[in-house]
Amino acid sequence: MDLATYLNVMRDPSGLPFYPIVFQFLLVLTFTLHIIMVNLVVGSTFLAIWELWKKNEYGLRLAKALGRVLTVGMSIAIVLGVAPLLFVQVIYDPFWYTATTLSAFWALLFLVVITLAFYAGYGFYLGNRNADVNSAKTGWALVAAGLLLCTALFIHMLSMEQLMPQHWKEWIVAANGTVSYSGGEFHGLELGRLLHILIPSFAVTGVFLMLYAAYFDKREDYDPKYLEYVGHKGAWMAFWASAIAIGAGFWWLGLIPKEFHFARNPLFLVGAALGVVTTAYIGASLYKPKEKAINCALFMFLTIFVMSCAREALRMKHMSQAGYSIYNYPVNADWPSTILFFATFVMGLFVLYFPAVAAFQAGKVKAGEVATLDPSLGKKAVGAMIGWFVIVAGLGIIVSLKNGVLF
Amino acid sequence: MYPFWEVPFFTSGMVIALIATFHILPCHLATGAFWFIVYVERKAYKEKRPELLEFVKKYTLLILIFCFVIGSLSGVGIWYAATVASPRGISGLIHNYVWGWATEWVFFIIEIASIYVYYYTLGKIDPKSHLMMGWLYAWAAWISMIIITGILAFMLTSGKWVESGGFFDGFFNQTYWPQLLTRTAFMFCIAGVYAAIVASTLTKKKVRKELVRTAGLWGVLGMVAGVVFAYWYLHKLPAHAKELWIDQSLPYLAHLLKIAIIAYAIVMAWFVICCLVKPKLAGPITGIVILFVLFMGIGAGEGFREGVRRPYIIDQYMYGNQIVARDIPAKHIKAEVPIFEKDGFLTHLYFKPDKIDPKNSRDLLKAGELIVHHQCGNCHALDRFGKIRPLSKLLENLAPESPEDIEGFLEALGDYPFMPPFAGNDLDKKAASEYLFSITRR
Repeated sequence: MDLATYLNVMRDPSGLPFYPIVFQFLLVLTFTLHIIMVNLVVGSTFLAIWELWKKNEYGLRLAKALGRVLTVGMSIAIVLGVAPLLFVQVIYDPFWYTATTLSAFWALLFLVVITLAFYAGYGFYLGNRNADVNSAKTGWALVAAGLLLCTALFIHMLSMEQLMPQHWKEWIVAANGTVSYSGGEFHGLELGRLLHILIPSFAVTGVFLMLYAAYFDKREDYDPKYLEYVGHKGAWMAFWASAIAIGAGFWWLGLIPKEFHFARNPLFLVGAALGVVTTAYIGASLYKPKEKAINCALFMFLTIFVMSCAREALRMKHMSQAGYSIYNYPVNADWPSTILFFATFVMGLFVLYFPAVAAFQAGKVKAGEVATLDPSLGKKAVGAMIGWFVIVAGLGIIVSLKNGVLF
Repeated sequence: MYPFWEVPFFTSGMVIALIATFHILPCHLATGAFWFIVYVERKAYKEKRPELLEFVKKYTLLILIFCFVIGSLSGVGIWYAATVASPRGISGLIHNYVWGWATEWVFFIIEIASIYVYYYTLGKIDPKSHLMMGWLYAWAAWISMIIITGILAFMLTSGKWVESGGFFDGFFNQTYWPQLLTRTAFMFCIAGVYAAIVASTLTKKKVRKELVRTAGLWGVLGMVAGVVFAYWYLHKLPAHAKELWIDQSLPYLAHLLKIAIIAYAIVMAWFVICCLVKPKLAGPITGIVILFVLFMGIGAGEGFREGVRRPYIIDQYMYGNQIVARDIPAKHIKAEVPIFEKDGFLTHLYFKPDKIDPKNSRDLLKAGELIVHHQCGNCHALDRFGKIRPLSKLLENLAPESPEDIEGFLEALGDYPFMPPFAGNDLDKKAASEYLFSITRR
């Protein structure tokens, strides 16, 4: 059996429940959201350490805020990561399952390490809640930072191994015919690519600081000088990190096989151009961080989204070289479940408006004050959930009765 | 077939089982806790008792730190573990239920948004809106259970799906409703244990006593409802599953059920004695002991669910060794056993030596090792000191005198109600027998 046959035979016999391009779009979109949160977590952790080392009041205040960002952000990053993990298994199943099984030990170690990183993050956040400049400690944040880098390395390796199918067999079948079942393979470190994923952490965190300064600008109990300090720091950090990320991107480009001609790929060209424009725009916003924060965030999101599309195009190049295309994956379209998801997705956006407004308004009032929300917001959100339940439970009862399985 | 990952002593299947059991505590807590929290918060506003909000804050923080770290990561952990232990099994589930999982993911997002906003806005937004945020989380979390139960139930009883291939035909199958109601009832019990532990650490004695009692009452009601629904659940198991359990084809299933019943009795006694009668006795120490008992009980219950499913990993569709068991015409799926019997199993393996000469005894053993790993290794420990259904010891019990004896055993494998048939041609069978005979004589 050759590699191309293996890859195509190993596609799931059930086929896809909908058209592959839909899963591919959802994969790229949710990956973008996930990686932005990952970047924010990594950047916040390192910046919190740096700010505490400076031993001044503003640094301490910012580090405490970043401690909260670190814990909340990690939760969100993990939940957002579920979706791309799901969709990659749907359309790239032979690559995902093979690479992960070959490196089973590392895949499971990743879970242990990320759990420890999470708790180290909480250790930092809860441990410093009441600390002053002299008593604040960086120990847990250092542990979290180290562990987060380990997880980045593991996931990078798992991603890279998926792009190297031509080497899989030689990794576990020795020349004398012995087959390894250890799950301990660790291959494919490509520093340019890894850095191109990690360095934007500081750019994303920088833009976050700009948004933070803009958001709290109207709060009377926030020291304007502190917000100026945060906004200024954010803008400079975003600018330099974006510029360095472009450099890392070109380093990565140099590592991509020449025969892909990836430098001429339209998605790559648009992504690179957007990267340059975003950097230039942030550069022009250095002295107006609060005013330009939202625009910078939009540019940043767009750049990361297009770069995620380019990354997907690169993956397809690698996989087509091995004789695999997602576009000829057999489809057994299942409309009812597809409608279930998209209807729920739309409902989810509607429901999320309520916590978003609540969080936004709660942050706008002074400490000790209470924000009053429109009472219909919560009722509509909860009502939508109950409505979903009634419809699905009703459907379930009808299906169960029709199939004679209820009683 | 995908590469095989071998876990010495315990099997890769046991890795999934451990993570899955561990996942149930935080995930059922996450789904059940907020019904209790909202109840307490509502009481605090209605009776103008702000002291109750100390509990609300503490309990929510516990859920954040425990459920949204351990719970969410162990949930992802089950996927990872299933990926490396049974890639075709999880792939089969995902390719049929991807939209189910994606729908559940929408509710995860609502959960995480609402719980953080709930925690950080207590006292910062008006009480009515805050209470609504609690309701939002409670519904989102329970709906995530409604969805995942459908996928778990599909693994146990695939229902009309085998005929129609339809998402909802597999989802709403014969064990769906009893399983959902059993899990729902026990989520209140788990939430009650944690609530009692948190309440026992409150500073005000009166509030502490009142909330421990209330938590105990929720726990008892959950336990009573749980046992009723669990009985219905057992009653709805298919005849094949009952044969394994009641007819003692697999005696360990009855033992697992006994462990679950003993754990149930201990937890019930704790609720009654330590929460309702003498609330002083409920505290972190007894609570943690009870959590351990719950862990054992849940492990036994889930082990039972996995056990009665044998020999399948997905009922009727895929065997535990990831070989497709039957045709599913609606999905154009073909049973693989006849294909492997015709072509030979090794022909369908990519990760194997380039040349295997069946006349060479060394090659034959290597071929046998490959076949046995793929066809037996998911459920049986293959090393000499293996702890989970160790193959060498099981075969020694048969006292084979030659590889031919084992060949005869492999021939009859499918006659055991809990074993998949051997999937391969005569040469595969010979190779597997040689290898199995070699490990019985180590």
